[in-house]
Amino acid sequence: MQRIWDLFYQQFITYGAYREVLEGLLATVEIAVFGLLIGVVIGTLIAMVKVMPKYKRLPRVLSGICTVYVGFFRGTPMVVQLLIGYFVLLPALKIAADAVTVAIVVFGLNSGAYVSEIMRSGIQSVDPGQLEAGRALGLTFWKSMFSIVIPQSVKNILPTLGNEFIVLIKETSVTSFIAVTDLTKAFRAIGDANYEYIIPYLMLAAVYLILVMLITLGIRIMERRLKRSDRRA
Amino acid sequence: MTEELKQSPSEEVLLSIRGLKKSFGSHEVLKGIDLDIREGEKIAVIGPSGCGKSTFLRCINCMEDPTAGSIFFEGVDLADMKVDINVHRQKIGMVFQQFNLFNNLTVLRNITLAPVSIAQKANRKRKVRNFFRSFLNLFRKEKKPLLPVRKSADIRAEAEKRAFELLERIGLSDKAEVYPSTLSGGQKQRIAIVRALAMDPDVILFDEPTSALDPEMVGEVLDLMKKLAEDGMTMVIVTHEMGFAREVATRVLFMDDGQIAEENMPEAFFTRPQSARLQDFLSKVL
Ligand SMILES: Nc1ncnc2c1ncn2[C@@H]1O[C@H](COP(=O)(O)OP(=O)(O)OP(=O)(O)O)[C@@H](O)[C@H]1O
Ligand SMILES: [Mg+2]
Repeated sequence: MQRIWDLFYQQFITYGAYREVLEGLLATVEIAVFGLLIGVVIGTLIAMVKVMPKYKRLPRVLSGICTVYVGFFRGTPMVVQLLIGYFVLLPALKIAADAVTVAIVVFGLNSGAYVSEIMRSGIQSVDPGQLEAGRALGLTFWKSMFSIVIPQSVKNILPTLGNEFIVLIKETSVTSFIAVTDLTKAFRAIGDANYEYIIPYLMLAAVYLILVMLITLGIRIMERRLKRSDRRA
Repeated sequence: MTEELKQSPSEEVLLSIRGLKKSFGSHEVLKGIDLDIREGEKIAVIGPSGCGKSTFLRCINCMEDPTAGSIFFEGVDLADMKVDINVHRQKIGMVFQQFNLFNNLTVLRNITLAPVSIAQKANRKRKVRNFFRSFLNLFRKEKKPLLPVRKSADIRAEAEKRAFELLERIGLSDKAEVYPSTLSGGQKQRIAIVRALAMDPDVILFDEPTSALDPEMVGEVLDLMKKLAEDGMTMVIVTHEMGFAREVATRVLFMDDGQIAEENMPEAFFTRPQSARLQDFLSKVL
């Protein structure tokens, strides 16, 4: 036991592997946070298109596009989307972007598909009378949604959105497929150095666990805040 | 002076509804309604549950799109899908049975949201046009004048001033900064009415405004509506309050099975109902 601990210590501190770990931690958090932000924007737009009144042609076309979009991103594994993005689209479109950026974009697009469903159920949980009152005053559909309905749906979707964030954090472990140095890759490298995996992998699990617990805590605090504003006189 | 010009403004037709039909799927709810609403009229609509009163009201401002027929308002057919309905809805207030105050906004913001956002949108449009104008003016001999634009803060301040005046009028100015969840039903509904008034509508549609209220709060809402009526507001009121209809309405309509089965001045309507259906209905509700 002492021996493998020494090996880990040597690798981690003396040979400076902690730098990769920090880099990996940053990449993991970066990808998940920005991915979620992009996902929320895309998801909100898709959800609104889905609940838009559909007499005119445009909403129907948009809705069709959104269905295809959601179908693709929910119907294929994230790894495959990453591989297509990094090894197919990037060279094909001759874009110069690093692997982390590609991962953020793919995570954002992917999460948009899931968030759209979350947002939609959130929107539908708001009393339709709220939208009606806005429209009856002459506000447009979009203005009523952004000023009245979406803010009220946030409270209902916050826990589910938190789950999505947790999923994204954990899912970043697949980004090593496109050569991102994420947490998983950084710890695997430590293990690979001496073929001693017990400590690196247990620690890896611990880091993910701590991240997830922090997020859970953050969500709980936010929820409590929102509840308080509910009662504000 | 011509005959037309001599007519008092109260004779002017504000809303002209022609052959209005509405179906939900194969279920025809409105079966052809014709009605002229003149400026200053207070029209009470009564009728049995499910006869289509709410649907009728909601078709007037196209919250439900009519299946057939026309709704002429200020010379435009609102039933025409090409008109920008949002512009016309600004002039048609609506008050709901469930109040529908915006839960995420304070009372003040409930009242100012629509006036501010609509004024700011118009302002933005003028700014964009000014931009093009000033660009084109570079090449023009005769410069076109720029459109007046206002400061966003001024628009807001003006709307808030008006909101406070309105709140003052209903004695609720101390509630400006609270959220709707802390208000009683009667307060909510009066604020909902004031919210509609903030748009300076030409007509207000009321869908059973007192039906969701505790009995002791019905009076305060009806009192406010009476004041509006006295001020000359044009009103269409779906209600079960027969006493109120009789006192305030200038005309009462009886809706039955998606049609206007009978209409009359309030006195005659309640004392000398013509059709058997109305007699039957009145005998049950009075
Ligand atoms: N969105 C809708 N989809 C399908 N059917 C509807 C819809 N709205 C109303 N209806 C039907 O239309 C009929 C008339 O409804 P409406 O709400 O206009 O009646 P009402 O006269 O206002 O009744 P109440 O006094 O109960 O409010 C009812 O049979 C109702 O089921
Ligand atoms: Mg009704």
